[in-house]
Amino acid sequence: MSPPASHRRRSRLLSWPLLFVAILAVHSLAVYLFTRGFLLTRTELDLHSSRDDLSPQGNVSPGCASWPPAAVDRLVIVVLDALRFDFVAPSTFFSEKQPWMDKLQVLQKLAADEKNSARIFKALADPPTTSLQRLKALTTGGLPTFIDVGNSFGAPAIVEDNIMHQLAKNGKRVVMMGDDTWIQLYPEHFNKSFPYPSFNVKDLDTVDNGVIEHLLPSLHKNDWDVLIAHFLGVDHAGHIFGVDSTPMIQKLEQYNQILEGVIDTLRSLSKPGGTHENTLLLVMGDHGQTLNGDHGGGTAEEVETSLFAWSPRTPPDAVLSVLDDSSCNVDLHGKEVCVSTMQQLDFAVTISALLGIPFPFGSIGRVNPELYALSTRTWVNQRMGTNACTSQDDLEAWMGRYTEVLCVNCWQVKRYIDQYSATSVIGFPLEDLQHITDLYSRAQENWSASLITTCSSETGSQEKVEGKGSVLLQQIDAYNDFLQSFAKLARSAWTEFDLWSMGVGLLLMILSVIIQASTLVNMNTISQSSDQKSSGSRIIPRFSLAFALVVIRAASFLSNSYILAEGRVANFLLATSCITSVWHSVLKGNISIEDLVFLLLNIFTRFGIEVGMSKQLPAPTITKDHPVSVICKILGVNSCNILLELFPIISLAFVAYIMLKCLSRAICQRFLKYFLLCGTMVSYLSIAFHWASETTLFSHAGTVQEFGRSLAPCIVYAIGGLSLAISAFSRIFGPTVHLKMNKRIIILSAVMLCSWSPTILILLGRQGPFVALISMTGAWCIVKLQQKHQRESELSVADPVSVIQWSLLAVCLFYLTGHWCTFDGLRYGAAFIGFDHFHIIRQGFLLSIDTFGVSHILPILSLPFIAIVWYNTTSKDNELKDVILNNINKVLLMYGLITAITATLTIICVAIQRRHLMVWGLFAPKGGAHLRAPWTCSLQVGKRIGDSAAEGRRKQQAARKIHGWAAWIGTGREGGESEMHATGKRWSSAAHTTGVRNTED
Amino acid sequence: MRAEATQISALTAGAAHLLCFAGLAAAHGLAGRGALVSDPALALRLLVVCEAPIVIAVFSYLRRDAKSCSFFKAVARGLIGLPVGAFLNAFGAIVLGAPVGIKYWIATIYWSLVMSLFTFVPAACVFGASKIDWQNVLSHSIYFTPTDVENYMISAPCHGAVLGAWLGAWPMPLDWERPWQEWPICVTYGALAGYMVGMVVSLVLMTVHKRRVRAKAD
Repeated sequence: MSPPASHRRRSRLLSWPLLFVAILAVHSLAVYLFTRGFLLTRTELDLHSSRDDLSPQGNVSPGCASWPPAAVDRLVIVVLDALRFDFVAPSTFFSEKQPWMDKLQVLQKLAADEKNSARIFKALADPPTTSLQRLKALTTGGLPTFIDVGNSFGAPAIVEDNIMHQLAKNGKRVVMMGDDTWIQLYPEHFNKSFPYPSFNVKDLDTVDNGVIEHLLPSLHKNDWDVLIAHFLGVDHAGHIFGVDSTPMIQKLEQYNQILEGVIDTLRSLSKPGGTHENTLLLVMGDHGQTLNGDHGGGTAEEVETSLFAWSPRTPPDAVLSVLDDSSCNVDLHGKEVCVSTMQQLDFAVTISALLGIPFPFGSIGRVNPELYALSTRTWVNQRMGTNACTSQDDLEAWMGRYTEVLCVNCWQVKRYIDQYSATSVIGFPLEDLQHITDLYSRAQENWSASLITTCSSETGSQEKVEGKGSVLLQQIDAYNDFLQSFAKLARSAWTEFDLWSMGVGLLLMILSVIIQASTLVNMNTISQSSDQKSSGSRIIPRFSLAFALVVIRAASFLSNSYILAEGRVANFLLATSCITSVWHSVLKGNISIEDLVFLLLNIFTRFGIEVGMSKQLPAPTITKDHPVSVICKILGVNSCNILLELFPIISLAFVAYIMLKCLSRAICQRFLKYFLLCGTMVSYLSIAFHWASETTLFSHAGTVQEFGRSLAPCIVYAIGGLSLAISAFSRIFGPTVHLKMNKRIIILSAVMLCSWSPTILILLGRQGPFVALISMTGAWCIVKLQQKHQRESELSVADPVSVIQWSLLAVCLFYLTGHWCTFDGLRYGAAFIGFDHFHIIRQGFLLSIDTFGVSHILPILSLPFIAIVWYNTTSKDNELKDVILNNINKVLLMYGLITAITATLTIICVAIQRRHLMVWGLFAPKGGAHLRAPWTCSLQVGKRIGDSAAEGRRKQQAARKIHGWAAWIGTGREGGESEMHATGKRWSSAAHTTGVRNTED
Repeated sequence: MRAEATQISALTAGAAHLLCFAGLAAAHGLAGRGALVSDPALALRLLVVCEAPIVIAVFSYLRRDAKSCSFFKAVARGLIGLPVGAFLNAFGAIVLGAPVGIKYWIATIYWSLVMSLFTFVPAACVFGASKIDWQNVLSHSIYFTPTDVENYMISAPCHGAVLGAWLGAWPMPLDWERPWQEWPICVTYGALAGYMVGMVVSLVLMTVHKRRVRAKAD
């Protein structure tokens, strides 16, 4: 071989690490940009307002030294789920009369006849328009995103300050009836509750009938202050039949009747001295719905819901001048009906102001003047604060009172802003914050100044009084300005995606896929030109099969159903590749045992995945006729339990035996070998001990149990880390040059596998050994088949089908181990094996090892096994080394490409469906899982090729993972459980249990 | 071999396919519209009952070694081939993820019998236990290189049925919640469609092949 040629080759080999680093960099950048644009995060503050927040501190203006006094005594809230605006407003407000309009006649009639005391509002909700998020927003006055970073690790109960909390704390009694989501959100806040399952979307009547049964009798009782009645019929009717359907109209007519009853009852009891003398009735929707009955997104139909307010006692006529900025129209009977617009964001704080409870800490709404004015008692001219210096007319007095409320409101929002910026993970942009702060201080200064001027003129002349009215107006404007600009800022931070950075991220991702693909193609042409020309024709079918499998898998991410069934899809594709290989063998006439074993393995993984899936979906039917439970039934529960306890330990022994056998054969450096053998042995013994200490079969002494429970896992982790360090050490300083390339790679992979596997096994729990056996068998089959293929084709190139089988097997293992791609699919329990206390980095690290261990870490670490040339065509050691290195590059590149393609498709899908109801439930975690895979892979790639520098990069990998996970675990904790509970529940109930096409766009 | 191959004309092949199709049509007529969706087990049973005698008879008549092997021997081969093929098909389906449960057993058995009639039985009747012929049937080379008429007749519908069934499984995980998404309904539809397409393809291949042979002869 001529010197220049070898030189060229060497430079090519040297440039590989650089290429991988470049790909990795592009990947990371793409992922970073995309996630930054996509992940809307909000931190939940665990702070609560309290009654005496305002008085002791002197930092508030004199005008608003206390929470506003109660204006209503009792409140009846009737929530009609998914109440569209056009269900309530008269049809004359719309260009065309539709069959579902004008069905709630009683509300329209009241709004027309009693203009002073009844009013229809168009309430604008903020996306996401799903019930749980809306209920949360209505009670906290915030803008819940799907990922609210909070402190609750499991229950969906709301930890943020909210009206329910304030009501309970301030001695108000709350009665709830209807949708049981309320009970999940506020488990301890109701005096009395009549929850009904909201699970079954097909069931239009159970919840409603339950509410009807309790609603009117409760109105006659005196044991509550706030009554919440949540009807679900309209939502369910929309999901199943759509808006333009007979069941929907029937439901609306039924509601009309119920509301008539409610209003009559309230009216009859509202005479002076009656139990409802000072009651406010609110009939409201939590969100709208499209004509198909879908909701969750941000279209006008979905966010426009309505709110109807009525108080049995009529406020003075001056109320009309507060309500003047509303649009009016003639209704069907020729009377004028007016409709106002309000933000749903303002609901919580307005209700708090009306009931006289402290405003929720995290509320960012504004007290709505119109809703506030509808309560009669806000018009009662009380002497309050310092502003009652002069005699005033009704309107002015009311404005004075309202300004004070706004003052408190602004103070409370400002306090929230300060707290939030101080404590949250991702705050607001600084310049915006500065602007907001300026607005606030200007408004407050203005207020103090105006108070002084008005009160200094004790016996004020007429102009002074006139002046005061305009001063109050100015003041209200200043406050409104502050509150609205903050709401706008909060909306942009919490509800809007940064499309620009998402787009750039996506482009970069595609770019990296193109780079990888072109490199791969380039490599193939090089190796083919050097190999026999005829081999090309033999490779093409394999390549096309692999390509088809990748494309099918990637395309399947465009539909949420396939994402939900990803484990089964992967298994299906794996089985397909197995069957084609069997078919191939039959054609060749040499069926090998590996083919059959692989097929049987597929059956095993399939059942395993189904068990995992059955945990995910609330469908007991799958588990009922599952083979495992059938076997259990035959054997009896007791012996079955013993079997289930013993089986892991027996299979663990088996795994350990295989591991030790392989190790002793693979590694030839004496020190490393003995260390690893001992380490593995101790690790497996610790695992067995750990499990044994947890079983109920034997009784243990306390200390032994304690040791097994907490110390044994730590030993396993420590040995894992130590053996990683030692292997790195021996690689840097140990003389490995004399070894053959094949041998070196095997040693490297074996050491890595040995140090990772015990940790992963213990984190996986009892299923670990079984999974390990499956993955070992699978790997063995793939490698054997690859060998066979190499022998047949007499080629020593990497086989793309083997690589895709490897990656599909990895996906199957992910689902087999009971994970699934949702936030609550994280196995939180695994993070606490060996530790009792939560520490974000430590537990995040363990959780990431558990989640990605068997599906990403182990497969990628053992990837070089496919790359090894088993069938030696060239005898020269030097050339063989080249071929092997080339193969490794190729295999890693292929694996990277596969993951990159799936990641790109996932990104596209997430971007398309970003407003979809399911995006946070399914697509986003899917994205998370996929985006991390290429990192690991690319980093792994770099590590394989480079020498000592690789270790540094591996650390970087670890660091990156921790970083990613710190974010993900944080989001996962709250986002995981609570959000998924609701969206997932709703969705799965809609899509699975009952069979509605509500999520299919 | 070539001499034998000429014994079967394209017309005979067409007639054989027509008979098989008639069997399917008869089953469809007996079961009624939509029976596969409402009662898959019954529809599949009818399909087996109608199709099995026809397929076995037709392909036994077309048996390869007509001199050394009697018609009844071919029928017997077909009858043995039916459960064996059914077992293989059922195994393949379970590997690919077909649900296993008491609820599905009967449907799975009938489905695999139908698949066996489409794939395994014809080859069993015609070829018996000849290994090379079986490999020929399985091979995809028939689409590129000219071969015997029986090979076309058996291979193309067989491949079509298997591919159709494979593709037919794809709508199953979708959340449309239609009754036909249940196992084995859409898979059966796919297999039937693939089988019919395969029959047409085999006829086309035969005529193309014949023309090519004639052109060569000229």
